[in-house]
Amino acid sequence: MIELIEKIEGEAKLDFSFTNDLIDYVKIEFLSARGIENILKNRPALDSLVINPRVCGICGHAHLIATVQALESCYEKIEISDKAKIIRELTLNFELIQNHLKWFYLVLIPFFGKKQDTKKALYSSSLMTKAIAVLAGQYPHNSYAIVGGITSSVTNGDFIKVRSLIDEAILFFQSNLVDANIEEFWECDSVEHIFEKEGDLVDILMYIIYSNLNDMGKSYDRFIAFGGNSYFKKGKSNKTVVSTNLKYEYIKEKLIDYSYAKNVYYKDKSYEVGPLARGMINKVPLIKDAHRKYGDSIFSRILARVCEIAQLLYHSKQLLSMCNIKEPSYIKPKIDIKNITANGIGYVEAARGSLIHKVDLVDGIIKDYTIITPTQWNLGSGTKDNLGIAQNAMVGLSSVDEAKLVFKSFDVCSVCTTH
Amino acid sequence: MEKKVTKKEQIIQAALELFAYKGFYSTTIPDIASSLKMSVGNMYNYFKSKDILAKEIIKYISIYLGNELKKINEEQISTKEKTKKIVTMYFNIASSRPEMIDYFLRVYLSNREVFKDGCEGMACVSEFVTEIMIFFEEGVQKGELKEQDFFSAFGLFMGYLGGMVFLNGEKILPNELTYYIDDISNNIYNALKK
Amino acid sequence: MKNPNGENKKIKILWLSGISCYGNIHSFFNYPHMEVFLEDFEFIYHPVLDSTFSLKEIVNETKECNILLIDGAISDDFHRADVNIKDIINRYATSVNRIVTVGTCATFGGIFKYSDFQSPRGLHFCGDELQTDFLHLRNKTISISGCPIQPEVLVNTLYEIKNQTDIKLDTFLRPKEYYAYTVHNGCTRNEYFEYKVDGHKFGELEGCLFYDHGCQAPYTAGSCNKILWNEQNSKTRSGSPCFGCTEYTFPKMSLYDTKKNMGIPQNLPLGVPKRAYLTIAGVTKAFSIQRLEKKLIDD
Repeated sequence: MIELIEKIEGEAKLDFSFTNDLIDYVKIEFLSARGIENILKNRPALDSLVINPRVCGICGHAHLIATVQALESCYEKIEISDKAKIIRELTLNFELIQNHLKWFYLVLIPFFGKKQDTKKALYSSSLMTKAIAVLAGQYPHNSYAIVGGITSSVTNGDFIKVRSLIDEAILFFQSNLVDANIEEFWECDSVEHIFEKEGDLVDILMYIIYSNLNDMGKSYDRFIAFGGNSYFKKGKSNKTVVSTNLKYEYIKEKLIDYSYAKNVYYKDKSYEVGPLARGMINKVPLIKDAHRKYGDSIFSRILARVCEIAQLLYHSKQLLSMCNIKEPSYIKPKIDIKNITANGIGYVEAARGSLIHKVDLVDGIIKDYTIITPTQWNLGSGTKDNLGIAQNAMVGLSSVDEAKLVFKSFDVCSVCTTH
Repeated sequence: MEKKVTKKEQIIQAALELFAYKGFYSTTIPDIASSLKMSVGNMYNYFKSKDILAKEIIKYISIYLGNELKKINEEQISTKEKTKKIVTMYFNIASSRPEMIDYFLRVYLSNREVFKDGCEGMACVSEFVTEIMIFFEEGVQKGELKEQDFFSAFGLFMGYLGGMVFLNGEKILPNELTYYIDDISNNIYNALKK
Repeated sequence: MKNPNGENKKIKILWLSGISCYGNIHSFFNYPHMEVFLEDFEFIYHPVLDSTFSLKEIVNETKECNILLIDGAISDDFHRADVNIKDIINRYATSVNRIVTVGTCATFGGIFKYSDFQSPRGLHFCGDELQTDFLHLRNKTISISGCPIQPEVLVNTLYEIKNQTDIKLDTFLRPKEYYAYTVHNGCTRNEYFEYKVDGHKFGELEGCLFYDHGCQAPYTAGSCNKILWNEQNSKTRSGSPCFGCTEYTFPKMSLYDTKKNMGIPQNLPLGVPKRAYLTIAGVTKAFSIQRLEKKLIDD
């Protein structure tokens, strides 16, 4: 039984097989590929900073940051000011937040008997896209991160505006999603405390509990996050055992004959990426508690994604106060990229999980480019004896509607997957 | 109006000749006036000071040379042919109106303090420089000249021509300027070509 | 419910995505008065927003529709819900009043004219090459180019269609109201351009990016510095070059370098002859203007 899944930044097909009225296998098929990696070939290195944000309209900024990191890692030595690092991290945080807000109000809540809330989704996400624009010129599709720093010189007034936008987003979170003080929420270590609050997230979580959906969507309980920064830790977690030593050599992409998306494995195993993975690896108390009680189910996945909004808003505020405006935004690299022949890799935590860019430069010209997107990790389409993360989470469910909810709980991005 | 322009040109021409003959500093406004049988008072109706006159002269030369260059630039010929035409044009002017090139080399380039106010940078020779720029730019765009910094090409071209005119003026050259046109055009083109 | 203008009937729009990155959709989401917009317009289909019909219904049946929005490049072998994009366009093309190509991909092919699909291109143009298969739709098409589109430009144009305004278009079918300007117009770095202060360094408020860093703003059509992005800012104001994303040439090669011939920029401000440009440049460059030579905000 083939279902067309739409409104996932594109479409995908799910081909369900049932045994005894239960799903026993789902084939996941992405329908097209655009070939961005080929478009990049033989272009000057810096052009990738303009092309790559166009991989995706909702997480294009993560592609920009991954690109600049890949290019910078081609240098043996390159100096980036703390100011530039902080501002890059801020704009990336803001992208994650706007994504999560849109996902919650446009994608998730219709599964729980509510109408899409366009007003809340777009009001709140626009606060974050405005904050990006203040620092980076515009959103989507800016190219303000460049090799050596950022293009913008940020003024005190810009910082005041960004701080106000963060604060407005915090107010939105507190008065709509969970009516808790954001610092309280940040430190909270028990899901029961959330149940005592009010808000749109609480409603959804309660619905899940009352409808006994809290076991739904469990997969392998294996998590990975490659893109470490001042907040996210790099590492992998198998159930609750976390290790931090990750190597690019263990990542393998694999073609599938019926889909335009490639599967991706770490040491031949599928791993879940995204907010739940990050929460587990970062040992966020609330996420750990949810995982202890509900495992890697839709409950934990939804909680982790929305909880990340609060964490990132709080952390962004701290980052902003740490930023010294007097530092340079840009330090011109000592060697012109036109003279660089090297390989570089950039790892970034994008909204949906780890995003990896790898570039091969010969005299500053791109000879090869590889992009591995989060959705490839989560939505790999494996065989029956080696199911991907989302496949495994859907197997055993009794209805296509349930499967769709589980599928979309990963926050699918079709365009990224079919880069 | 017409009359004033013509009179201005006459003054410029007379001044050019006197500057070339007597030198810039030794020539006075009364000298120029008397060579034109004008009163000094009338002369001041046209130019309020020698410095102003000096600047007007360089603009006049720049426009004159610029127009000649523009004609060449607008011809549908190769950059190599244009190079030769420019060299020919320049040497012809150096022979027929030597005071003009002389002024450029001996007055304008040698007495920068006179030109500092109002003729900063290349402000008073922009017509001429613009045409040289267009000549270079089109040469590169057509793939005939190699891409390089403007001034390294400009210096090579104008320095060479200026040097030859200077040697000629010092009567050091064994032959007429025109004798050298082919070799010099080839040298310049070969140095600039892609 | 009546909208604030007391009208009942909403204009029906179909948002059809071709080969796209969804950037136009998310740029559209930054439109500041969406609630009002959704009172006046109804999406019979939108790739993200709840809409009247499913994608399957839209591509297999012909639903009532007033405006067809095409976002993303089209190609001979691109499908939505198993139906060829060109067939979907043809299904709606004759019944709608207007077609709007949303973004540079739908207008000129954009980045995805280089994609792996079969002859990817815009609806009427591939680069600046006129395409012939939809020629009969030319007189009902409006192009809103840009990668992505500016939300206000799209929404204002939709209102102008609704109000039956006589929209003046340029040769690429773009509304002159928004595309008669260059991106340069309104840039906070204008003075550095005017006086040829060309020593721009990234990360600074000062300096113009036209001379060394590939800025295409002086010859790119668009309102980026007039209608600010996200109501805040623009690329050039924040120190990034304009990449010419509204033009058929997008994306050029070497986007961070200014193509120069013997130091003279190959592409000059729109409509300015080379001779005029060089003469003015030569004159202005001669003056060193103290205010523009030093930092704007001194310690």
